[in-house]
Amino acid sequence: MAKLLDKQRYKCALASMQTVQAITRAIPVLHSGPGCAQKLSDGVGSSGYFSPNIFPCTSINEKDVVFGGTKKLASTIENALKVIDADLFVVLTGCIPEIVGDDTAEVVSQFADARKPVIYASTAGFKGNNYKGHEQVVDAIIDQYLKKADEGEKIEGLVNIWADVPYQNLFWLGNLRELEKLLAELGLKPNTIFGYKRGIENIDLIPKAQFNLLVSPWVGLKNVKKMEKKLGIPYLHYPTLPIGASETSTFLREVGRFAGVSSEKIESVINEHESYFYYLIERYADLFLENRVINKQFSVVGDAQYVLAATKFLVNDLGLFPAKQFITDDTPKEFQSAIVEEFKKLNYGIEAEVEFTTDSYNIHNQIREHDYHGYPLVLGSYYDKEVTEELKGNFLNISWPFQDKVVLDDFYCGYTGGIRLIEDIYSVAVQRFN
Amino acid sequence: MTYKIAVASSNGTDVDTNFGSARFFSVYTVSDEGNFVHSETRAAPDENQDKENFSVHTEKKCTGNGCTNSGNCCRGAEISEKVRLISDCRCVVASKIGFTVQKQLERKAIAAFDVQCKVQEALQKITKYFYSVDNHLSLAKK
Repeated sequence: MAKLLDKQRYKCALASMQTVQAITRAIPVLHSGPGCAQKLSDGVGSSGYFSPNIFPCTSINEKDVVFGGTKKLASTIENALKVIDADLFVVLTGCIPEIVGDDTAEVVSQFADARKPVIYASTAGFKGNNYKGHEQVVDAIIDQYLKKADEGEKIEGLVNIWADVPYQNLFWLGNLRELEKLLAELGLKPNTIFGYKRGIENIDLIPKAQFNLLVSPWVGLKNVKKMEKKLGIPYLHYPTLPIGASETSTFLREVGRFAGVSSEKIESVINEHESYFYYLIERYADLFLENRVINKQFSVVGDAQYVLAATKFLVNDLGLFPAKQFITDDTPKEFQSAIVEEFKKLNYGIEAEVEFTTDSYNIHNQIREHDYHGYPLVLGSYYDKEVTEELKGNFLNISWPFQDKVVLDDFYCGYTGGIRLIEDIYSVAVQRFN
Repeated sequence: MTYKIAVASSNGTDVDTNFGSARFFSVYTVSDEGNFVHSETRAAPDENQDKENFSVHTEKKCTGNGCTNSGNCCRGAEISEKVRLISDCRCVVASKIGFTVQKQLERKAIAAFDVQCKVQEALQKITKYFYSVDNHLSLAKK
């Protein structure tokens, strides 16, 4: 049966230019038609040193389709190297050059000795969405730039962290920093390549790490597997982004154990955080227990990472009951059953039902027809606001597209992030009777 | 439907002449099956005469500042005689085509290809492209 895409919640693979932009002082060079970059960027923090509107682009036209665009691409790369001050140039190909068969690899190989590294990824829009495009950019860095480190170069305790997809997940910047902070408290040395002051020096550190930490249900899994093969770095795959005390404590125990941190150290970090977390919860116990406007059941609509993370938090920490959850990031089939299993590992033997679908019409109908035993709580994208308001439910915007929230470096990850999420959910709930 | 391609070439082998200095165009007729054959040679109108008809802005005078040049532009109404000469062609091939002429060609829906290669190669690629477009075939490289 044909797959229906209604109200898509991701962009095409070329939007992985935002993954490149997130690496400080890395520039995407686009081999595509004019306007692709401008269409794919949105107002979620993409201005700055080089914003999508001024990315170097070959702006191909009919002549390049008929005669090939490789000459134009070579001259664009050459001039970009002359004019732009950047540390890494990533050539991304769009739909048209891929269809007519431009040999990007050959053109990029002409720049093997350029003064700055030039790599490429074939991210034609029809090949997939920007979750896959993100993996392709990281793959390109691994394949074409990184080299295996010798045993003597390895740094004890250095851990590479792979989590959110930059600019696609609203909280990517804050989440990555929070994960770094948590690992630093365990005495490890975290390393990420996206965001403030993280650029080519951090990429250069990747091969020297003790292990890779992947905090995501599926995005990035093939990257860490590739790094294990090519660079000899083992990995720990922790599928749930930790939000709130229950999950973060589990997370710290598992990461600490894998890294060889002593259990006294792990427990003391956990104790300190949990005391503060539950101190705050205790003070607001009357709000949680006597509140009659908080919802009983909830649905989360978004990508696999946030649906899983939010479901575990809302059930295990807040005691809500899951209705049906919807994962809309077009998860590849090979990962789906493992993710479904994760949704069954909730407290008190609760199992959440989850559906992988990109048909928002279908999702909205199911939300309308389900009995939430009260007002529904929907955590989703801006597309889901209307149906929630129709049902007089409470809505929180946590997945793409965002119109309801402006986030600079806020985060939902970790103990502190869990408190932020509680505040946001209850703020929406208490506004009901204003 | 057959269509015509105008090529600016001094020797019939290489696309080596730019549009503005072309003294003549070699016109090729393309059949429905995509086969092309040289059908005629059209002489460009006399240069002085052309200047009189198109006195405001010839290609040689175009400063290349784009159409924002302070009022000294052709205001879109003038069509150079040379463009009129090949206005029944689907596309024109030359080594360089100036900006104002490109705009005029666009208005007449004539495709402009400014390339430097062999005439045969250009014609083969163009006819293959138009053939795919007309017969709704994919342009994907096999």
